[in-house]
Amino acid sequence: MKAQGRQVPVLVWGAALLMLWEAVSWFLLEWAEVPMAQSKLPYIHKVLATFGTYGGVLAAESRITFANAAGGFFLGAAAGALLAVLMSASKWAERLAFPYAVASQMIPILGLAPIVFGIVRDEEAARMLIAAYITFFPVALNMLRGLKSVSPAALELMRACAASPWSVYWKLRFPASLPGLFSGLKIAAPLAVTGAILVELMGASRGIGVMMLRNLYYGPSHVYMFWSTVIVGALLGIASYAIVSGLERIAAPWQPEFRTKGGGR
Amino acid sequence: MEAAARIIPEIQLEHVTMEYASDASRVTALQNVSLTIAKGEFVSLLGPSGCGKTTLLRIMADLAQPTSGELKVAGKSAREARLAQKYGIVFQNPVLYDWRSVKANITLPMELKGVPRAERNRKAMELLDLVGLAKFAHHYPWQLSGGMQQRVAIARALAMEPEILLMDEPFSALDEFNRERLNEELLTIWSKVRNTVVFVTHSIPEAIFLSDRVFVLSPHPGRLSAVVDIPLPRPRTKEMRNSEEFFRLIARIRDSFEEGV
Repeated sequence: MKAQGRQVPVLVWGAALLMLWEAVSWFLLEWAEVPMAQSKLPYIHKVLATFGTYGGVLAAESRITFANAAGGFFLGAAAGALLAVLMSASKWAERLAFPYAVASQMIPILGLAPIVFGIVRDEEAARMLIAAYITFFPVALNMLRGLKSVSPAALELMRACAASPWSVYWKLRFPASLPGLFSGLKIAAPLAVTGAILVELMGASRGIGVMMLRNLYYGPSHVYMFWSTVIVGALLGIASYAIVSGLERIAAPWQPEFRTKGGGR
Repeated sequence: MEAAARIIPEIQLEHVTMEYASDASRVTALQNVSLTIAKGEFVSLLGPSGCGKTTLLRIMADLAQPTSGELKVAGKSAREARLAQKYGIVFQNPVLYDWRSVKANITLPMELKGVPRAERNRKAMELLDLVGLAKFAHHYPWQLSGGMQQRVAIARALAMEPEILLMDEPFSALDEFNRERLNEELLTIWSKVRNTVVFVTHSIPEAIFLSDRVFVLSPHPGRLSAVVDIPLPRPRTKEMRNSEEFFRLIARIRDSFEEGV
């Protein structure tokens, strides 16, 4: 009952937004007679109709984009986590690696993508590498923070128990870093999808980005399809975020926001 | 009986001094402290804040190194004793790991010691029984009250089967009622374990109620100003808190503070 009560405002809000969209779209097209009005804000019902008609194609292309983004995401997450562990284990490693990690994020992806493609000469590998490149930094940064978030008392407990350095990592630092790791992953997941799409826009044979670009070139006649691909791109980002959030609930359920009962302190 | 127990020394400190170097000056946290604690003895380190009682405990635990002086734990260095896992330690805060259930928090030291799983689980349930939390084995730390969390921390410290139990103001965050109840529970637990306990506190009644002997420390610089024997018989009961002897001991310790300052 309670859950239903909460859903009503959300539904009303969503319906209102869609109606507003339709109204503005109609206004631009029929009333203001703005040139290329449908390219600026198409009728949402027509976009949804296109979605229905070409759903199969959109799904197939999205699958390719998503698979590349996911592959790169795992690669980048693994690299980021490894770098974070190295940096937390040694001040020296941190001083050596951190400035370069920061500097790497200053390179525009738009410039990097053709370079990467030029080197690997494989569109799928290039997409994965860019997705990995985008992923590794927020993951490394947030996980490092998590690894360092361990309280001195928690470390002293380990010391008093004569724990090995390995045990300190495995039983204390690593679990303590999971909330940080997941905030990094949640930032990175939609970015990895965006990155994969971006590389597709720069020349690939398949993927949602390719469809997006083609329908943009074809002009006003393909405007509904173009908007469909944009929406699919957004949905892929949302899906990636939802998947990572779901995994977080399984892997790190002790965090304050997931606590259900008790929790007086 | 008490005198007989004091024959085997467990912890011996000789002329222990601890200095911290801050920006310009040197702060003497402990000055020339010498004391001996016997095996199986329950002692308190009592004093106001800044008297170095926690520093002294940390030195015993090998969590801090003295600037000068000698320290022997069961005939070895503190470091050797720590590496031989002779210590159980309870901090001011419970320091429980949030990702572990109550039971898993208690099994942690045994995992580090390499105790087999079945044995760990059996022992953890036994300890939970001992601290009266058997029903909460599968709860998580944040689902417990402060007093319950501290009892889990005690059970965890006992899981090491420590020769020496070091407690750093474990009940100072609790209200008076809970503190007195936990004092009684601690003595009940200790009567079954009978290891050496060093208990840091700033509460005079708490020190008296628990201890065989009270080491009184005074501040600036931290030094040992008196050693007071507590001749109250064991097992201690709550009624003893109202006995004339108890009040006499409180007055005696108060006086020693005034002499010390």
